[in-house]
Amino acid sequence: MAFDNPLARLLEHPAIWRGRSSAPQATITSGFLTLDAALPGGGWPQLGLVEILTPQFGIGELRLLVPALAQLTQRSASRWITWVAPPFEPYAPALAARGLALERQLVVRTQTVLWAMEQALGCGACDVTLAWTRRAPARSLRRLQLAAERGRTLGVLFRALCNAREASPAMLRLAVEPLREGVRVTLLKSRGGARGSFDILWASH
Amino acid sequence: MAHPRKQAVRWLSHAQRGRGPESPQGDWLQPALPAAVLVPPALPALLRAADELWLALYFPSLWLTAALRARPANGPVAVLAVHNRVQRVIAADAAARELGIAPGLSLGSALALCSGLDARERDLRRERGLLEQLAAEALHFTPRVSLERPDALLLEVKGSLGLFGGARALCEAVQHSCARQAVSVQWALAPTPLAALAGARADRALLITNKAQLVGELASLPLTALRWPSEQLERLASMGVRTIGQVLRLPREGFARRFGKAPRLLLDQLTGQRADPRPSFVTRERFAARCEPSYELTDHAEILQYCEPLLASQEHFLRARQAGITSLLLRFAHRLPGGLASERLITPLRVSLVDAELAARRFILLLREHLARLTLPGPVLRIELRSGRLLPFAPCTNSLWQPGEYGGAAGSESPALIERLRARLGPDAVYSLCLVPEHRPEAAWCVAEPRPPDRSVNNNPVTNSGEAYLRRPLWLLREPELLALQHDALIAAGLSLLNGPERIESGWWDGHDIARDYYLARNTQGSELWVFRERLPPHRWYLHGVFG
Repeated sequence: MAFDNPLARLLEHPAIWRGRSSAPQATITSGFLTLDAALPGGGWPQLGLVEILTPQFGIGELRLLVPALAQLTQRSASRWITWVAPPFEPYAPALAARGLALERQLVVRTQTVLWAMEQALGCGACDVTLAWTRRAPARSLRRLQLAAERGRTLGVLFRALCNAREASPAMLRLAVEPLREGVRVTLLKSRGGARGSFDILWASH
Repeated sequence: MAHPRKQAVRWLSHAQRGRGPESPQGDWLQPALPAAVLVPPALPALLRAADELWLALYFPSLWLTAALRARPANGPVAVLAVHNRVQRVIAADAAARELGIAPGLSLGSALALCSGLDARERDLRRERGLLEQLAAEALHFTPRVSLERPDALLLEVKGSLGLFGGARALCEAVQHSCARQAVSVQWALAPTPLAALAGARADRALLITNKAQLVGELASLPLTALRWPSEQLERLASMGVRTIGQVLRLPREGFARRFGKAPRLLLDQLTGQRADPRPSFVTRERFAARCEPSYELTDHAEILQYCEPLLASQEHFLRARQAGITSLLLRFAHRLPGGLASERLITPLRVSLVDAELAARRFILLLREHLARLTLPGPVLRIELRSGRLLPFAPCTNSLWQPGEYGGAAGSESPALIERLRARLGPDAVYSLCLVPEHRPEAAWCVAEPRPPDRSVNNNPVTNSGEAYLRRPLWLLREPELLALQHDALIAAGLSLLNGPERIESGWWDGHDIARDYYLARNTQGSELWVFRERLPPHRWYLHGVFG
């Protein structure tokens, strides 16, 4: 049926390469249908650097990640989930209630956020490394991206929304803004995926 | 008539019942057999052979050997100990003995006999070390070695006889081993520890493998071999009792009345009528090494370079013992500023690990981090390394996949990450989480020591998903933050209450009691917050969590 369309037939030609059709990568479902549909590969990547930009910490950005984190800790061969310099205390009862295995969580309190994150990303002992920072030069982001690929770890860096216009080597950049009953997610950069903006409402999940 | 084999089994079970240390009548020689049981003729000789055989090694010149190991002899040597506030000779070497210096002589008399006497204080620490060294050597012959302080060892060798080709061959092998260490030894083999010790101290090379011969062989030994208190021996001697045989012939009741129950018990243990359990010697090994560089080290990289061979030899040592360590102590010696060359200032550096480890490579990585944080008061003259307690080391199996590849688990990387972060950030900066069964929100969790995943068990994470906790925020503030004094002020600040109240009143028993009404609120930026109002006046409002 697709071959009826001459354009589709042309695009099937093996010599044609399209930017969007990148190599398939391992992903894990985010638990939100709208988000899965928008992310390349149908979920959060399992390795690489992801930037989440928010006007302030605590508007719901963590809630987007929690279902995926819970899935990762419940696997038989799970690794650490490292929290580098979180703005508040990760509240253990709430995490446990959402299915995260507490003994796999590692909280790191430090001023040298990017150093600690690079160690956690590069050593291969972590499934996910979450880090909160305000200052992150593009060169150190590049180092983080390389470390994440070396250690096969997903690195999630939470930054302020004012950094949205800066160039970044991250494979995925999201801006998250609060709505009344959910968040508005804007894909600023998505390697091998589409850009755009959509709303996620908590009530529907 | 029952089957002969069945009878033999019945006989055996009887014999065993009567033998154990729990039965006070555990006498081998007269097993209390019911008359109806027929005893097969070949069995008794076999069963009468002792179930334990103790080889006692007595080192008569241990004091002298220990003293001589401190420094080489300078003339005739005598070892002194203070007895009744008088320094007396307790041991002397052959040259000193030739001059007439015998144990018991006071220091003055000894010096009168030989003015060039090399008199030395008794070195208790070195003696203990030497005995432990001999015990470690004796572990080659049997796993059950017991220290008989201050100067003897007991080896349980029943199980080793077959391996070493009989009792006599074993005793010769032990003698050779002691000769290699340049220690003179007197030995005896007997079914009970005390009998073997008495034989060794009396310098009779007894070789008793049968309990039936025990009392007969012991009878001729002098009582002094038992090392009882001298006043008891004098009392017995005044009664004309000078040998073990004579004391064993004394009536039990009368003996116990005159000398107390303790000597009676010792005699029972001597003849094997009472059990005499002995603690086994366990080697307490540490690795220790030091290096003194030819010049003073000022650079951290140089210090690390000198630590590397120490750590490499430690790895060699640990690998040979299949052991790992979780702590390591390094001591850097500096010259005291303005002090003499011999006075040293020590900077200790303790490295601790999450998991037992032996690889020098990992210690070097950690050490580099620790050294970067360390400020040394001056150039380093000497480096000393001392390992912590040796722990059994189970090397982790490498998985087929890299960590993270196709769900591959992390192996040694997990503890290594924690150690590296802690080395730079301090031990409290890295922690894990755990739940506490508590109603107070701030007390419902606590910091836990991160544990690397158990490699042997397929870890099934335990999640207790209380429905109530779904209404808890993902973020908690360390301390509740004061928001407003009145409800009106809260509304004016732009907060709207969405859900609540949930009342939490608890903790009256430890002085941190709370009485709060919790609400779910939203601010103008759209963040969902967890706020509470104090139940008691002045009813202030606090922010306690963020739903994030």
